[in-house]
Amino acid sequence: MKRLPLPRPLIESLVTISIGLVAGALLMLLFDYNPVQAYRALFVGAFGSLEDILETLAFATPLMLTALTFAVGVRGGLFNIGAEGQMYLGAIGATFVAGLLPLPPGLHLAAATAAGMLFGALWAVPPALLKAWRGVHEVISTIMCNWIAFYLATYLAINFLAEPGRAERTAPALVTARYPVLTEDASLTAAIFVALAFCLVVYLYLWGTRAGYELRLAGENPDAARYAGVKGGKVILLSFAIGGLAAGLAGATQIIGRPPAWSLYATLGNVITLGFDGIGVALVGRNHPIGGVLAAVLFGALAHGGRFMEYHAGVLSELVRAINGLIVITLAVPELWMLARRRFSR
Amino acid sequence: MSPQPRVEMRGIHKVYPDGTVALRGVDFRLQQGEIVGLLGENGAGKTTLMKILSGLLRPTRGEIMVDGSLAHFRNPSDALRVGIGMVHQAFNLVPPYTALQNIVLGQEGAGPLASFRTDEPRRRVAALLTETGLEIPLDDPVESMPIGVQQRVEILKTLYRGTSVLILDEPTSALAPVEVHDLSQFLKRLRAGGKSVVFITHKLKEVLELSDRVVVLRNGQVTGEIATVQATPEGLAEMMVGRKVVARVSRAARPPGAPVLVVRDLRAANDQGAPAVKGLSFEVRAGEVFGIAGVEGNGQSELVQALTGLRPPTGGEITLDGTRLLNLNPLELYRRGLGHIPEDKARFGLALNFDLAENSILSRQGERTFLGALGRLNWGRILAYARDLVERFKVLAPNVRTVVRSLSGGNQQRLLVGRELSKQPVVIVAVHPTRGLDIASTVYIRELLMQMRDDGKAVLLISADLDEVVELSDRIAVMYEGVLIGAAKTEEFTREEIGLMMGGITPKGSAYETPASAPAAD
Repeated sequence: MKRLPLPRPLIESLVTISIGLVAGALLMLLFDYNPVQAYRALFVGAFGSLEDILETLAFATPLMLTALTFAVGVRGGLFNIGAEGQMYLGAIGATFVAGLLPLPPGLHLAAATAAGMLFGALWAVPPALLKAWRGVHEVISTIMCNWIAFYLATYLAINFLAEPGRAERTAPALVTARYPVLTEDASLTAAIFVALAFCLVVYLYLWGTRAGYELRLAGENPDAARYAGVKGGKVILLSFAIGGLAAGLAGATQIIGRPPAWSLYATLGNVITLGFDGIGVALVGRNHPIGGVLAAVLFGALAHGGRFMEYHAGVLSELVRAINGLIVITLAVPELWMLARRRFSR
Repeated sequence: MSPQPRVEMRGIHKVYPDGTVALRGVDFRLQQGEIVGLLGENGAGKTTLMKILSGLLRPTRGEIMVDGSLAHFRNPSDALRVGIGMVHQAFNLVPPYTALQNIVLGQEGAGPLASFRTDEPRRRVAALLTETGLEIPLDDPVESMPIGVQQRVEILKTLYRGTSVLILDEPTSALAPVEVHDLSQFLKRLRAGGKSVVFITHKLKEVLELSDRVVVLRNGQVTGEIATVQATPEGLAEMMVGRKVVARVSRAARPPGAPVLVVRDLRAANDQGAPAVKGLSFEVRAGEVFGIAGVEGNGQSELVQALTGLRPPTGGEITLDGTRLLNLNPLELYRRGLGHIPEDKARFGLALNFDLAENSILSRQGERTFLGALGRLNWGRILAYARDLVERFKVLAPNVRTVVRSLSGGNQQRLLVGRELSKQPVVIVAVHPTRGLDIASTVYIRELLMQMRDDGKAVLLISADLDEVVELSDRIAVMYEGVLIGAAKTEEFTREEIGLMMGGITPKGSAYETPASAPAAD
């Protein structure tokens, strides 16, 4: 098995994250906040206790999956930014099976998970076919599909899946379709194990199978792929399908793997932007399935710990988001640089 | 000759950042009202020299004098300011804009309303048209025009900027014969108007027709300079091709076997849809190297791609050992015994960001040997195979998990050639197999190809390096503008004859219409 191509990116990331932290500190000094106090609040908030660590991981769970969507796209030479819409559909699929289809325990959970993944994958198929058959650029088609998915999901949530008597959210997942909560004090559920397993499987698939090799070859050098007899359409379809499965699973984890709602808000408020955030996570994680897991934990820490910067150090929430943004941007620079070089070097 | 040249370049050296030496001390002069043909093979340094004169590249050493005073060009605008402008082989036009808009683009003048005032530019362009005798529909979008007319737009664009030294890079490569005639008339009018012209070409006939003086470049040096009236095609060909001495690979005489790869009336189009391969017929026999020489861009790439499944042919027939091969993808062709050493290894043959092991199975990734259950890659076997390739073909690399990008060009090519040869092909199509390689790798790869020939494989060698073709081939043909000129045993040609054919001049008595047939049969 190929060893992880990690060490150098990890060092680069450590350097860039320090640059990001320094830049954030300068920003705070500019607004008369104490950066040391604020960063301590961030760190303690994210990792200070077992509950906080679990909460951080709960934030990380969907992000590692949507990051995977983008990463598998890039590995296959595609700019799939459709994770957002595929994730909405995944949430709808999971909501439907978990909330409205009574099934025996065990089977119910598996079916709800599978439905989420399947819906996500199906939503990824039209852009893939358009690309393979007609050459429609995937950025355009996935953005369009994201909007269609947004309104479709809202429509289905309000008109068909709503909890009777409550318009603001869907029928909650039945108890038989919920991932077990790991401790009462944090919202992390066993869904994270499914997410981690999925990332691992995709990693093994990309580097350990013929189909994964061909997918990476097509992304790395399309001409050499043609020379090697790789069928372009197949790669596009595969890459999108895997991405859709991941995004669908991400949506499902927010419904059947995240207390307290166990349902989809009619505003899509508990899933919205998770797909787009995944792009940043993927860039920080160097478009690698395992790198994405690590990057997702970092994003989770910023999201969960950032709240404590607000509570304990009094940093304005807008500024917290700006600082988080700075850190993310500096972290994404190396991979963005690589992508840009590859795009414009031909 | 007038004492003061319009432009003079002295001792120009150019070393590219990657270490390629393009020019080694070139002197070049251009008088006012003179048409100079700059002649040379691929990689002779013609275009580099002219890019330096037009400010697009900076010389590593050497100086440029314009009208007797020293000039330093930081960019093409600097060169334009003293009246030097270049028309490149690939045009820089905005397809949906009209001819007039394209000509004036960037020269509209200042002010927010500048671009709306088209009457003044129109008058100036119309004056230019009368002066040069060119005719173009000014208000038609450029994309609707044939290439020849687009070229005129491009030339007018340069002249509109006040150019009096016009540089044309391979101006005839895209033109039909009639258009070439028009171009020649046009250049003469420019000359009559006191302008100077340099045109880059590799075609002997055109340089003889169009120029007043010829400067020949070879390998970054001037190898000849002659007034056109005194020039002969033979003399120019020799200056262009030269007699280089390289380490030779010995080629033992050996009777060729039966035809293995047979091509009949093959046709293929280029990316723009224009015919590039115009009915080629030839055959390659077991145990022989059939070499196709020729200046690049005469349809060789399209021929190779049509043969290897990368480009669908538009007509004709290819058979391998009697089986027809048309419209098969590269993988299916390889399974039938076709090995391919592609012309651009970084583009087709290797994935530079993959490691040696991953590259060693490129195009073999579907083979049983390298797979386990459920389509899993058998890394143990792949690594062992990669190590074997590295050892057998003397690839210098830290280990097989090294990224191929970090290897030298010679080692990359050894890996690629090794992979293709170890597939045990029946036919090998080798395209520029030693281009850009160090001498040791060059000799080694040529030896490998000879080894394949001696093992009874059929080798089709396509190369712009004439020495390579002459050295390795049992039989030679020259590709020129999509057809093969004169296929015969290597010994039957002199270098001058091949040089002439590369320049588009068919030697007397050679079989132009039916290449490849008679001579091989003895």
